[in-house]
Amino acid sequence: MDNTTPPDPVIELDHIRYAYPGEDPVLRDLSFTLNRGERTGLLAPNGSGKTTLFHVIVGLLPISGGTIRILGRNMESEKDFVWARKKAGLLFQDADDQLFSPTVIDDVAFGPLNMGKTREEALSVSRRVLSFLGLSEFENRITFKLSGGEKKLVSLATILSMEPEVLLLDEPLNGLDQATRTRLTGVLESIDASYIIISHDIDFLLDCTDTIYCLRDGKTEKDTTVHVHSHDHAHMMGHIPHQHK
Amino acid sequence: MLSEPFSIGNSVIHRIDPRHRILAAFLYSVVVAVLYQLQALALATAFSGLLVKTAGLDGKAVFRRLALVNGFVALFWLILPFTAKGDILFEAGPLTVYEAGVLMALQITLKSNAIIMAFISLVSTMSFSTLGYALRSLKLPHKLVFLFILTYRYIFVIEQEYRKIWRSVKVRGFSPATSIHCYKTYAYMIGMIFVRAAARADRVYRAMLCRGFNGRFHSLSDFPASGKNGLFLFIAIVCTVLLVSTEWYFHG
Amino acid sequence: MHISEGILTWPVLASGAAFAAAGTAVGLKKLKTEDIPKTAILSAAFFVASLIHVPIGPASAHLILNGIVGLLLGWAAFPAILVALFLQALFFQYGGITTLGVNTLLMALPAVLCYLVFHPLIIKKDGYTASAAGFAGGFLSVLFSGIILAAFLIFAHRAFTEVAYFIVSIHLPIMIIEGIITMFCIGFLKKVQPSLLGSVYGFDGSNPAITK
Repeated sequence: MDNTTPPDPVIELDHIRYAYPGEDPVLRDLSFTLNRGERTGLLAPNGSGKTTLFHVIVGLLPISGGTIRILGRNMESEKDFVWARKKAGLLFQDADDQLFSPTVIDDVAFGPLNMGKTREEALSVSRRVLSFLGLSEFENRITFKLSGGEKKLVSLATILSMEPEVLLLDEPLNGLDQATRTRLTGVLESIDASYIIISHDIDFLLDCTDTIYCLRDGKTEKDTTVHVHSHDHAHMMGHIPHQHK
Repeated sequence: MLSEPFSIGNSVIHRIDPRHRILAAFLYSVVVAVLYQLQALALATAFSGLLVKTAGLDGKAVFRRLALVNGFVALFWLILPFTAKGDILFEAGPLTVYEAGVLMALQITLKSNAIIMAFISLVSTMSFSTLGYALRSLKLPHKLVFLFILTYRYIFVIEQEYRKIWRSVKVRGFSPATSIHCYKTYAYMIGMIFVRAAARADRVYRAMLCRGFNGRFHSLSDFPASGKNGLFLFIAIVCTVLLVSTEWYFHG
Repeated sequence: MHISEGILTWPVLASGAAFAAAGTAVGLKKLKTEDIPKTAILSAAFFVASLIHVPIGPASAHLILNGIVGLLLGWAAFPAILVALFLQALFFQYGGITTLGVNTLLMALPAVLCYLVFHPLIIKKDGYTASAAGFAGGFLSVLFSGIILAAFLIFAHRAFTEVAYFIVSIHLPIMIIEGIITMFCIGFLKKVQPSLLGSVYGFDGSNPAITK
């Protein structure tokens, strides 16, 4: 990595804790920093709190301890998070949760309109994003009639149209065929934003991210951090079938 | 499951401002609903038939719809002619057919079909998203329109979930019968649908929050003003006036 | 259960529409924006449930489920049922514009009454009492819908009396089935996710971002 630019933290989590009511904590004493330009993967087994972590970052779930800072701003109230959600675009695991408007363009323009853009501005940014994703001809398609892969790409468009500074992608490959995977990988490579991807597909993470963390026992384990280009570390993941590029 | 077979088309009617179409459909239906004279009802049925023709709809498809929804009306044909006593029309064996009953059943049939045909030609000819916008710009309560749009969207998701559950029940050898076991299975399937649906509702709302939703809905489309819209509304009003005058004339 | 276009007289249609509008207004007022997705999804489930046919002897009938909708949504059952019925009118031409009010009223009013009477019993009591309340909720909401439907028909015209009796009587077996299904369904929800029965207003403590 380039060590000459000073780190510019986008997301800082400091000793955060989260527990669902009446259950053992899912996240305990978790600390994590994402700097501008970083592309990070989060590898973890099912039920380890990955989705919870994302929902905590954008304030959908309130933490019981620790601090969250987004772009240097301390997250203290719902008002802070409302602001943060415009900066950090969260892609949900299931596209059917994300898409609710009748047509694709309505859905993509929903975020920009909420951010106070005029109809014309919202349409123009939405069209730009759709064309970037190669979805221009989808504008007036009915969302529920799209295929699984198309739904996922349109969901990504609904996030990108808000022009976020950081993307949080929750299992973006879930249920996608090989062609759509390749397309998504291509999109992520050409995108100009920092992002965190949750996935249990190590090949995908190796392709699309620079750093991979593991979430274990409610903490991200720094000692298992894998730098893609460091063969030593990559081999620590050797028991999971993967390819070296 | 749900198709919008009538929404595709490029007839004069498809091109009229959806708000004008909704208003016209409402006005026309209300007027037809209060007509009683057979002459007026026949005229209304003719108008509605003309609407279906103007909208360029597939006559067979419309007819199939009408056949399906006339079940309730058929019930009146089964009972009214024999029970609404008055002048006897004819007697067939033990059955006495009364004129008043037949007349009433006929009124109901004409009214019902005239209104449904008008509804199909004017309202079912718009796509759902257009309808959503139109209702919004007709100043319906914000929350109601939001509820309407979301309900439509999730009908498809729920239906898929129902199919999944139904498949899993079937592969384990369930076959419907009149038994407590069967009803219990249905109850559990429905309960499961509600549980999954509620969990999904939660996620949907979170996803909306993430995209800056603050309870207000903004609209993308705008309906261009056109002289045709005014003309359309004018014709609709003339037709309803004609219907009302026919009713008065024959009312005596 | 619904009344088709062209049957009722204008005073009946107008008063039905007025009462339905009032109920919907109350429902919307009580419905918080954050609860709309939940209400919409239950409204969609209500719509889909009405396409499910269950066997009754040699025949079959589709489910009505207004009792369950009432128990889960309370007053929000009014807008939820209104929306579902409008969609049915739109796609299947069941019911229609002029009868939307009466149909909403005849489905939603029993749903809300069922909520007011049986909801407290269902959450506070267990065992037989809760089961009985579930059965009664399902059974009575359909019965009451039938009675309102019959009353509308008879108000519209005395000659419809026999038709009205006939409709109520063919719904008797359906009432029993709705009672059984509502009873088991409520039992299921109590076990699996009791928060769903907390009515849409204080729904689910699990999402503070929403309940805050």
